[in-house]
Amino acid sequence: MKINVLGVATTEFGELWKRSPRDLAREAMEKALRDADKSAKQIDAIFVGNMLADILGNQANIGSFFGEELGINVPAFHLEGACASGGLALNAGINSILAGQYKTVMVLGVEKMTDCQQDEIVSGLMAAGSDEERLAGATFPGIYALMAKEYLEKYAISEELLAAVSVKNHYHGSFNPNAQFKRLITVEDVMKSAKIADPLKLLDCSPVSDGAAAVVISSEEKNIEIVASEVATDTLALADRSSFTSLDAVVRAAQKAYKKAGITPKEIDVAEIHDCFSIAEVMAVEDLGFAKRGQGARDIAEGKMTLFKGKVITNPSGGLKACGHPVGATGIKQIVEIVEQLRGTAGKRQVANAKVGLTHNVGGSGTVAVIHILKNNL
Amino acid sequence: MITTPVKLWRRQKKVAALIGQTGVLWQWTIIRIPPKVFVQEAPYPVAIIKLDNGKKLIGQLVDWQDEDLVKGRKVIAVLRKLFPEDAESIIAYTIKFKPL
Repeated sequence: MKINVLGVATTEFGELWKRSPRDLAREAMEKALRDADKSAKQIDAIFVGNMLADILGNQANIGSFFGEELGINVPAFHLEGACASGGLALNAGINSILAGQYKTVMVLGVEKMTDCQQDEIVSGLMAAGSDEERLAGATFPGIYALMAKEYLEKYAISEELLAAVSVKNHYHGSFNPNAQFKRLITVEDVMKSAKIADPLKLLDCSPVSDGAAAVVISSEEKNIEIVASEVATDTLALADRSSFTSLDAVVRAAQKAYKKAGITPKEIDVAEIHDCFSIAEVMAVEDLGFAKRGQGARDIAEGKMTLFKGKVITNPSGGLKACGHPVGATGIKQIVEIVEQLRGTAGKRQVANAKVGLTHNVGGSGTVAVIHILKNNL
Repeated sequence: MITTPVKLWRRQKKVAALIGQTGVLWQWTIIRIPPKVFVQEAPYPVAIIKLDNGKKLIGQLVDWQDEDLVKGRKVIAVLRKLFPEDAESIIAYTIKFKPL
C-alpha cells in the first residue's frame, strides 16, 4: 500500500497573541482539507502532535479537543515526543492506514508558546529532559551548548563558522511569507547577539513561536508519496550517550528510512532539518549523510546547502531558526514545506527540479528522531 | 521539578551514594537564561562530570572560579540545597560538584 499526501497547510508562524490554539488548529486543518479537495466527513481519524498544552495550558485530552474544531467526532489521538511530536503523529497516522484501519486521516501539529513568560517556557520544555538535567539547572540551549562545545573543539571549528547556519536559514526565511523572521542577518549579528549558554548565542537558537500545520494523508492515489517514515529513540540524558557530536537516534532512523525508500543520501534534493540550534543542523547534515564528519559547518558556510547554489538544499522554509519553532507543529510544517517543494509550488524559495525530499524531526536532545522521505511520482 | 516529599524521599538514596565521589570536569557551559527555579542563581556553570568509575553525570558546579573551568579539573560531589524552600516548606537537596 502507498501512503499519499492529499493536502497540506500551515498558518503563519510567530508571536500570535490574538490567536488561540483552537483557532490556529482550525485554520491549518480547514486549509489542508481544501487543498486535499476533501470535506471533514471524509476524515476517518485525527492524529495530533503537541508537547506543551498540558504543561503550559493546563489542557490535556487534546486529541478530542482539536477534533472538535473539525466538527466531527472521529477517533482522535495525541502523540507526544517533545519537539518531535509532529513527526510522531504523522508516523502513527501512516501506520494506522498501513494497518488497514483507516483510509484518510488528518495529522495536525500545533503549539501555543508565546502566551507564557520565558522562564516558564524554559522550564516547560525541560519536561523533555531527564530528572538529573532538570536538577542541574540545565536548559535545552545548555544541553546543545555542551554538544556545540564538544564539536567545535573536536573539529577545530570557529563560532563564526557555526553562525553560518543561522545566516543561511534567515536568508531562506526571507522568501517565506509564513516565516516568523524574514530579515537577513550576518555572521557579525550572530556573534554580537546575547549569550544564552556558551558558546550558543541568541541568534544560534530557534525562537519561541506559535503556529499550526496540518496534512491530509491517504491510501488514495496522488502524486506525492511518503516512501519512508521511521522513528528511533535514545536515552533522555545526554550524559548517558557515548557521542556528543552526533545523534545516534538520527543515524539509526535515517538508515532505516534510506533502506525503506531504496535511495542514498545523494538522491535527496531538498531537506527540512531540525535546526533548534545552529549546532543541531551541523550534526544533522553529517548524521544524514549530506556532509562528511567534521565538514558540516564548512559545507554550510560555503553555500553547499543554500538556495539557488547548493546541491542538497537544507531548510528552504527558513528552518526552525527563521520560520519559527512552535514545537508540536514543527514536524508537520517540515512535511508541508517538502510537499510544496516537490509540487513546485514553493514560490520564491522553490528548489529547482526537486523530486525527492526528506524531513528530520528531533525531540529532546536527540532522544527521539523521526525521518520521513517523500517523492513526487509524476 | 521535584515537589512531593515522597519523590524526594525516594531520590535521597541515590543522592547519598554519590556524596564524596570524585571525578573530572569533562565539558561545561554557562547557563545565562535559566529555568524558573534557578532565576536567582544565573549565570551558573552546568557541567558533564566523568566520575572515577567512568560514569558521566550532569551537575552544577559550586564554589568555582574562572580558572577552574578547564577540562580535566578534579571535582568532588557535595550535597547542596537545590532551592531554599517551596510553598510546601520542602527544602530539596541535590548533588553539585566542587573543584578540589
